[in-house]
Amino acid sequence: MERAFTPLECLLPAAALRACADGGANLLYHITEGSQESFLPDYISGDFDSIQPEVKEYYKVKGCELIETMDQDLTDFTKCLQILQKKIEKKGLQVDVIVALGGLGGRFDQTMASVETLFHATNITPSPVIVIQECSLIYLLQPGKHKLHVDTGLEGPWCGLIPIGSPCESVTTTGLKWNLTNQVLKFGTLVSTSNTYDNSGIVTIDTDKPLLWTMAVKS
Amino acid sequence: MERAFTPLECLLPAGNLKFCLLILNQPFNKGHFHCLWSRAALRACADGGANLLYHITEGSQESFLPDYISGDFDSIQPEVKEYYKVKGCELIETMDQDLTDFTKCLQILQKKIEKKGLQVDVIVALGGLGGRFDQTMASVETLFHATNITPSPVIVIQECSLIYLLQPGKHKLHVDTGLEGPWCGLIPIGSPCESVTTTGLKWNLTNQVLKFGTLVSTSNTYDNSGIVTIDTDKPLLWTMAVKS
Repeated sequence: MERAFTPLECLLPAAALRACADGGANLLYHITEGSQESFLPDYISGDFDSIQPEVKEYYKVKGCELIETMDQDLTDFTKCLQILQKKIEKKGLQVDVIVALGGLGGRFDQTMASVETLFHATNITPSPVIVIQECSLIYLLQPGKHKLHVDTGLEGPWCGLIPIGSPCESVTTTGLKWNLTNQVLKFGTLVSTSNTYDNSGIVTIDTDKPLLWTMAVKS
Repeated sequence: MERAFTPLECLLPAGNLKFCLLILNQPFNKGHFHCLWSRAALRACADGGANLLYHITEGSQESFLPDYISGDFDSIQPEVKEYYKVKGCELIETMDQDLTDFTKCLQILQKKIEKKGLQVDVIVALGGLGGRFDQTMASVETLFHATNITPSPVIVIQECSLIYLLQPGKHKLHVDTGLEGPWCGLIPIGSPCESVTTTGLKWNLTNQVLKFGTLVSTSNTYDNSGIVTIDTDKPLLWTMAVKS
């Protein structure tokens, strides 16, 4: 069974639910300066060790739900996703994709924590989860066949396949400039980076293990 | 046998540490750059890293000439390439498309280290952890290859992050230079680790599995001992915060 997906379709409007994971609320507050009222999240969750007190107070007063999650083994992102899935189910929403903004820059450990959340996401939600920050997107491909539509016009010039959690014994692709045929992808052997597309607008990937897809997003 | 290492020793202004500097194609901290440049035994740029060097040393590029610039030269700007060529820097074109510019630069560096008979305690790569996600992963890939290229430890520093690949076995990291930032982590990139044991961290591990989808150590921090020990059965990526 082939899973079809258009990674950048989400950059067209509009979101059904909006949430912040802890300090994400600070960024929301500052990026919407002057019109915060028009950009209120449905909820803010986390252990609240990053959110600024005045930001927390502002959203609380405006009626946003604040959900404290104390589990120290899971990241704020993972916990936020768990809450999101509960709300999706409660509201009976049909959700094609969950988009996380941020999470790939700055601290290297937090970038890796975002990847870790994508691994957990499989057990949290049936919806695909993607992470976008500045010019990069990441999406975890589960074992099996995938068909990615990369013809939204928003795709940047590079892409890659990263065997981040464990080696992949057999990966086959079409639609890339440097395709793979039953190839091993493994850190220390081969990792596909600085790859790009042929002109078909479609990339297919068949993988035996979880494999991280990454691609450039135009600003 | 335990491997002892002080990851941030290269950023200390004094001392006898012998190291080489590679400049990669991602923006880096000016303070780190100046601290490292002045005391490096050999200095090189990997392709577009030369652009960054050229711009960060604007007005005094002549005082910051690399020993060589290597790569497939698809990122270096023509005027930058010309400038360093005219100034006598060695330009080494490396066409292998299966290896990254960073890996190839490291191979050349090791050859020069051997040719000159240099004693090298560590190789420091500046840049390589920010911007494009695929290039960050490519930097990690190079650390895996580095084991077969050079006996010297290789670390990558960009802005507030450092990464260093721990080979299977016991390691003792000295984290008391004063330049350590508040966070650290252990990332089982590449394959799961079946058994990891640590001391010196706030959240230590005892014969624990580290694996994406199970447990990855991020947002960890230190106890007050100034030393972290790690015993791992598989390659494990150490990451830590660096003060600017």
